[in-house]
Amino acid sequence: MRRIVLAVATAVLAVPLALAGCGGSGGGSSDGTVRLAFRQFDPPTEIGGLQAVVKAWNDKHPDIQVKLETLTGPDSAQQFAREANSGSGPDVVQIANVNVKDLAKPKILKSLDEFAGKTPPETPLDQYLALDLAKFDDKTWALPWTVDTFALAYRPELLAAAGLKPPTTWDELAGAATKLSDAKAKRSGFCFTGASGPGSGQWFPINYYLWSHGQTLVTKDGDRWKVGVTQEALQSEIDWFNNLFASGATAKSMIAVESLTDPQLVDGLAKGTCAMTLMAPQTFRKAKAADPTLKTAPVPDGLKDGATHLGGRMLGINAATDHPDQAWEFLKYLNSAEAFTKIAQYPAATTVLTKMKVPAGEEGYQQQLPHAKTFGRYISGPVPVTTLTKITNAQFGAVYSGQTDSHTAAANIISQITSELESR
Amino acid sequence: MSAALSLRRRGPSGRLTPYGLIAPGVTILILLFAVPAAYNIWLSLHDVTPYDALGDGQFVGAGNFRSVLKNPLTLSSLKNTVLWLTLVTVAIRLVLGLGIALLLQASVLRRLRLVGLTRTLVLIPWMIPPTVAVAAWRWLLDGQAGLLNQLLMRFGLIDQGVPFLGQTSTVWWCIVAIISWRELPFVIIVLMAGLQAIPHDQYEAAAIDGAGRLRSLLYVTLPNLRPVLGVVALMITINSFNNFVYVWLTTGGGPGTYTQVLATQLFSAAFVDNQLGSGAAIGLLMSACMVVFSLVYLGVLQRRARA
Repeated sequence: MRRIVLAVATAVLAVPLALAGCGGSGGGSSDGTVRLAFRQFDPPTEIGGLQAVVKAWNDKHPDIQVKLETLTGPDSAQQFAREANSGSGPDVVQIANVNVKDLAKPKILKSLDEFAGKTPPETPLDQYLALDLAKFDDKTWALPWTVDTFALAYRPELLAAAGLKPPTTWDELAGAATKLSDAKAKRSGFCFTGASGPGSGQWFPINYYLWSHGQTLVTKDGDRWKVGVTQEALQSEIDWFNNLFASGATAKSMIAVESLTDPQLVDGLAKGTCAMTLMAPQTFRKAKAADPTLKTAPVPDGLKDGATHLGGRMLGINAATDHPDQAWEFLKYLNSAEAFTKIAQYPAATTVLTKMKVPAGEEGYQQQLPHAKTFGRYISGPVPVTTLTKITNAQFGAVYSGQTDSHTAAANIISQITSELESR
Repeated sequence: MSAALSLRRRGPSGRLTPYGLIAPGVTILILLFAVPAAYNIWLSLHDVTPYDALGDGQFVGAGNFRSVLKNPLTLSSLKNTVLWLTLVTVAIRLVLGLGIALLLQASVLRRLRLVGLTRTLVLIPWMIPPTVAVAAWRWLLDGQAGLLNQLLMRFGLIDQGVPFLGQTSTVWWCIVAIISWRELPFVIIVLMAGLQAIPHDQYEAAAIDGAGRLRSLLYVTLPNLRPVLGVVALMITINSFNNFVYVWLTTGGGPGTYTQVLATQLFSAAFVDNQLGSGAAIGLLMSACMVVFSLVYLGVLQRRARA
């Protein structure tokens, strides 16, 4: 009997111990090689350049071998938090700009100031774009890596045939979109993601329109945060977007399109069912691969400072890593000019960016990037950007689908954001 | 000699034997059910984000429950959950499930040796993972390139693609169709098992008494199937009420908030708004709804069985 009780007790104790043993980040090996895990979340189809960079690092550093992990999905930051909070997870992690604050707050990232002081990166730390989003409590928690924005991608022959130039104001865009749409050819003048979910890409044009009209969803007023847009301005903006569907400038089918990489946008632009749309560089390159004649221009009012967003990725070091110095060396390498000869993205390091040769057709990004501003205007506030996105997309979508009118939707957005500001 | 007397005579170690034997099972139950449930209750009483370490969080008492109940979206989510996600899909599945189960029992299938084939075909939707099924349906219902729109346009019934998942008049029916298609096989299989258990002599007796097919169905089949139908209805009701995947992957709760249900509101609160406590509070309210429903439902079934 004692044996049975002992065996049961051992089994009960062994399970958690065995599970605990599964944790732990990185590792070394008996031959002295340091093994680092680097996790990124971009789709596997877009990381060919990054794989080449990791391979180049591994070839050059036989004593520090890096394994590239891919974990796609919108909750990759939360997954990293779950692992890092239990002392495991990758040594180096790619982070969306909007998530750095969330990971810095519980201190599951290493502060990078000390490393940068000892062995500075190729570009001095203060010369990185989007650095404001890497800071929290006066410390730097991540190194900006890549930057992007959304430019107006268009079919030059359709605009030329209609006697149009790329629109420079939102009213011009609405007019051009109506002129370019053609029901017989099943062509929309302007395509955009009109879905209502929190992941819908319409969040970007909604904010571009808002910012270029001098409004913002939330703003800091002294020590407190308040709603930064009037109901009238919001209603007028909702009407502007809804009129695209009503006038036929945008196909109604776009109401259900959520992803910025949806075939209706990418193939649509490449095959001519979309005359104009907004696209990030990576997505534009996919469309351009199918039709090399495609071009980009700044979005309406995109050359106004702060009228568009500066998005991108950062790199952080897991606070639980056993090899922080090696992780920092690898992180510096990823930000080097040499690495960006292989990575087909715009670097956040300004010294690398200015020397970079911009691919043909991408002039819109090149012109717009210096004027783009990060979502820091929202991220530094108390309401998560994801919540602002959820509220805004849902109300705009509610109008497109006829669930509500623009007056009510605008009032709902303001009351819901006010309620969020008061409760946090 | 009674078993209790036998254990007493064996001394202290003998008395411990039963506890030792049930310990592994109880431990597993505690680890898999009681601990997560207790943690969920703890979360619902705290202000916690998905980025916090285990145990971090500020105690807020019933604050999360108050904010959930005050949120106007909760009522519309509850209505959608009860009406569309549960009542409509359960009713469709039970009616169609019974009809198809009866058809699959038809003697003509046995004569043509098609029983195995038809049962396999019926099971196919259930073998497809829900995420894949939703992706396939989204493609089918796509507002522009979707097969359904292409067919309608080819036959000249529409000029422009219909955004089935983007307009209020069609979106719930599309979700209902997806759920019914994917989950119907479970009902069919269980009801078929129930049908096969009905003694054949009851049908013979009914036939001798002059009962036709309809009367046999009403007075032999359905009364015999009642316990099975009761259990199936309970299972799919609980499963539907708590379901998250179909609505979230199909519409994300949109257009607007038109298809928001309690499960998507839970996810949204916990992982979009970063308020795990609110999400846990919604989860507990959902559990409470289902416990009350199950108790009432089982009570009614038992009373009917006794009567």
